[in-house]
Amino acid sequence: MFRIRFHGRGGQGMKTASRILGTAFFNAGYEVQDAPRYGAERRGAPIFAYVRAAKTVINERGIISHPDLVIVADDTLVGMPAAGVTQGVDAHTVFLINSHESAETWQQRLNTEAKILILAAQEEVEDRAALPYIGSRCAAAAAALTNAISQKILLAAISEELGHLNQDIIDQNRDIALGVFDEMSDFTGLVEPRGLPSATDFVDPGWIDVPFENAQVSNIAIHAGATSVKVRTGLWRTMRPIINYENCSGCAWICSTYCPDGAINVRTDGYPEIDYDHCKGCLVCVAQCPPHAIESIPEHAAREQEAGVTS
Amino acid sequence: MIKQSPVHFHRMKDMPSTHLLGTGTPMCAGCGGLETLHTMYDILGHNTVFVNAAGCMTLLSVYPFTPFRGGWLYTAMASAPAGAQGVRDAVDILMKKNKLSADENVEVVVVTGDGAAYGMGMSATSGAMDRNLDFIYLCYDNEGYGNTGQQYSAATPHAALTSTSKGSHGYPGYKKDLFAIWAAHNPAYVATIIAAEPLDLAKKIEKLQTMSGPRMLISLAPCPTGWDYDPELSVEIGRLAVQTGVWPLKEYIDGEVRHTKVPKQRKPVEEYLRLQGRFRHLFEPQRDEPGIAEIQARVDDYWDRVDSK
Amino acid sequence: MTRKLLTGNSAAAWGARLAQVDYIPAFPITPQTEIIEDLAAWIDRGEMDARLVTLESEHSMITAAGSAASSGVRVFTATSSQGLLYGMEMVYAVAGWRTPFVMVNVSRGLASPITLESDHNDIMAARDSGFLQIHCATCQEIADSILIAYRLAEHADVRMPALVNLDGFYLSFTREPVDLPDAAKARSFVGEYDPENLQFKGNSPLSQAMAVLGGGPYSYFRYEAHLAVQQALAVYDDIADEFAAEFGRRHDMIDCYQMDDAEYVFVMLGSFSTKARDAVDSLRAAGWKAGLLRPRLFRPFPQMRIRQQLQGRRAVAVIDQNISMGMGGVLHSESATALYGIKDAPLLASYIGGLGGRDISQQEFFAIANELRQAYERGESPPPRLLYTENEMTEMRKLQAIAQAEHAEIHET
Repeated sequence: MFRIRFHGRGGQGMKTASRILGTAFFNAGYEVQDAPRYGAERRGAPIFAYVRAAKTVINERGIISHPDLVIVADDTLVGMPAAGVTQGVDAHTVFLINSHESAETWQQRLNTEAKILILAAQEEVEDRAALPYIGSRCAAAAAALTNAISQKILLAAISEELGHLNQDIIDQNRDIALGVFDEMSDFTGLVEPRGLPSATDFVDPGWIDVPFENAQVSNIAIHAGATSVKVRTGLWRTMRPIINYENCSGCAWICSTYCPDGAINVRTDGYPEIDYDHCKGCLVCVAQCPPHAIESIPEHAAREQEAGVTS
Repeated sequence: MIKQSPVHFHRMKDMPSTHLLGTGTPMCAGCGGLETLHTMYDILGHNTVFVNAAGCMTLLSVYPFTPFRGGWLYTAMASAPAGAQGVRDAVDILMKKNKLSADENVEVVVVTGDGAAYGMGMSATSGAMDRNLDFIYLCYDNEGYGNTGQQYSAATPHAALTSTSKGSHGYPGYKKDLFAIWAAHNPAYVATIIAAEPLDLAKKIEKLQTMSGPRMLISLAPCPTGWDYDPELSVEIGRLAVQTGVWPLKEYIDGEVRHTKVPKQRKPVEEYLRLQGRFRHLFEPQRDEPGIAEIQARVDDYWDRVDSK
Repeated sequence: MTRKLLTGNSAAAWGARLAQVDYIPAFPITPQTEIIEDLAAWIDRGEMDARLVTLESEHSMITAAGSAASSGVRVFTATSSQGLLYGMEMVYAVAGWRTPFVMVNVSRGLASPITLESDHNDIMAARDSGFLQIHCATCQEIADSILIAYRLAEHADVRMPALVNLDGFYLSFTREPVDLPDAAKARSFVGEYDPENLQFKGNSPLSQAMAVLGGGPYSYFRYEAHLAVQQALAVYDDIADEFAAEFGRRHDMIDCYQMDDAEYVFVMLGSFSTKARDAVDSLRAAGWKAGLLRPRLFRPFPQMRIRQQLQGRRAVAVIDQNISMGMGGVLHSESATALYGIKDAPLLASYIGGLGGRDISQQEFFAIANELRQAYERGESPPPRLLYTENEMTEMRKLQAIAQAEHAEIHET
């Protein structure tokens, strides 16, 4: 069975990727199971989707814990533990990252035995909230890497799953998919399926007997205030708003009041400060600032600047 | 009613500069409902218990994370006002027995979406008003069952595309007049608000803090996910809702309805509709003149009746 | 025959469409909403001739379902979890009205705490109501089971409504290959809806569902309904045979996998049972005589068949994805009832797993098999076990620490 996981952000098209690949496998004669898996199901928040494909009936269910292929559509997710991109990845796994950076760079960053490949990221995308053609590109890469799906069948699957869009867009997706087949040609068939786990030597699940704990411990209550601040919703951000203090008139209250998440506070000096741990990048502040003193830049560019890396 | 030292909200600089409601909640980026909630929470403070019915905001608190510095109780979709009744009564009992001091008193605030307020929760809300419950009710109205994927609700406006009204003309029904239904109960206070008009909102919160009894608020909550627009437009769309007259800002108090903001020259409704994907079918592939005109006529009709009073 | 990839929710919507239902009272709830969205879209486009009405709550929705069926039309509806519970007064009531219709439940764990993920406590809450219950393990079964459910519910010897259960997320949002029955054949399989002698009409006197005073009459009505549910056992096989002859797929009231010579058996309901199939295959490859028994029909409870299948086995693990507070797994209790007093009863072990969508890993199935073997060697059943690991407890402690803490570090999500 092929076990394939896609990782991306809500709104980028991971569900579409899993559907295109699922349909392609199905039309190539495989039994298929595909599903998106929402976390918060919010734009920008990490989500994943998966596809299982086999020649016999698939009985396995749920999250793929030992993937043969992991495709990461947005490389900013790789540094985010909560996105879980490296869950269950082992020496058998092919790890494909949509990135400008090289496989060697990623090999150094990630402590993994998996085989790292790069799906070359396209011309710089401003706002990664929507990655153009990503569903078709990821599905095409998977098709080539498994060597289980012909180009013809993949293209037909793209047409089928994108059938509600206009023909120009469908054709562009198909062309780009063909390009990805070429790009992956050195690695055709690198992804291999795996069988079922063995019942003779298996890792003991490590069960415990759950102890009784009285209600004061076990009731469904949170006794601390505002623990939500521990959740870094700033990781959803694909565009970063930046205040240009030279142009800021210190009215402060407009951006601070309008920010839906309350992620802009006014400092004692009367100027606003954006809490980047929590700013989701909705850009309401950019749109509402009267002197237009807030601009937005792609989040990945902002991070590269912070890291001192030129993009 | 909790007596607060009243702040008078005259200018934007009177609005709170730091925010009480915790960041890090999973509401969508650009959520108009969250905008209202955090503004209210800043003013009401943490001597509050927020009682919630099923909807998007149920996910504000997911163990072990909560944005509240005061109280929060999730009940069920139909019964948040009944939950509020229980909290209010219990706190009053304990205060009477001197088991809670005056500064441990809380304001009980029901927060629900339109799904509960306009539909399933109507009975419990009616009952709470019948009993003259001393509480605040905030309905964040994103005009559909948002948390389940934006199916139409009784709050959905005519012609809106929703996931259960995908036909070429959108939702065939009309938005229920919840303000009138609540006002017919003659509660202490009913008002419409919107986060895009924060001073109007703040003044209304300030006012209702000096009252007791049922104080009912309906906030239009522009919703990027459900209404299909880019999140940065949330405030602009909210402002246009007011400027076109689609969302009248008004209050019911002492038996009278008073509008708190009357757009002098209303902008054409299409400026509001055009920015939202849920109304795209009115403009593409070609303009639906009768459809747009009908919406305009209903808005004009409303304001003609207001003017004539 | 058209075989295509469909989600469980789509398969359910297709089931209703192929059964040519007339009326769909609806109310949205996660994870069921795509069912009503598909139906609404088909009706809007004129592809389906039915009426869909959104009611204001599930209590109202189920009332309208029953009253429409009592007025003579074929009805379909769907809900989940909190919605099923909100309508529970009417679930019991409409079953007593003796008007058949089909309700799909997309299983989801119950508050509190409130969750969106799957387990079986919701459908279990309806087990005493009089609704028949069919539990599906695959998307294919969902489409097929809805057609079978209409035949079963509408059978002259039954006339009770039916619940068809599919697991949230694992089936509802997951695509699997589904062979959709041919529309004309499905139509002829379900036939026309026959309201029998319950249909409101002008000028015809008919009072339905009225009050009853007196324990005698009340007992009569209630017990007859129970006997009617039992009748489903007598008529099920013929309906399943007919379905198999027409569509080529067998859906017996219990699904037995590798049971012929099985010594150690898993008993499970629903979609996670397919994981048990894989575990049985792996165990067999390692030399075990393992098997799986999956009841498909849960109400009426197929006692005789379960008793026949489990008699003489060494040890049986009933894996419940539900828990009756203060008693334990429901399927376990009911299986124990079926086995009471028989000769060569197997050792019976209770496992609770999959609550709130928690996965059950292959390794856990293997560990369960090992516990069964140890139990057999000892000659006594092990105590009930919640499938829960040391790692999970460590994670829980971290969450508890945050829930009590004053300050803590940033947590990523």
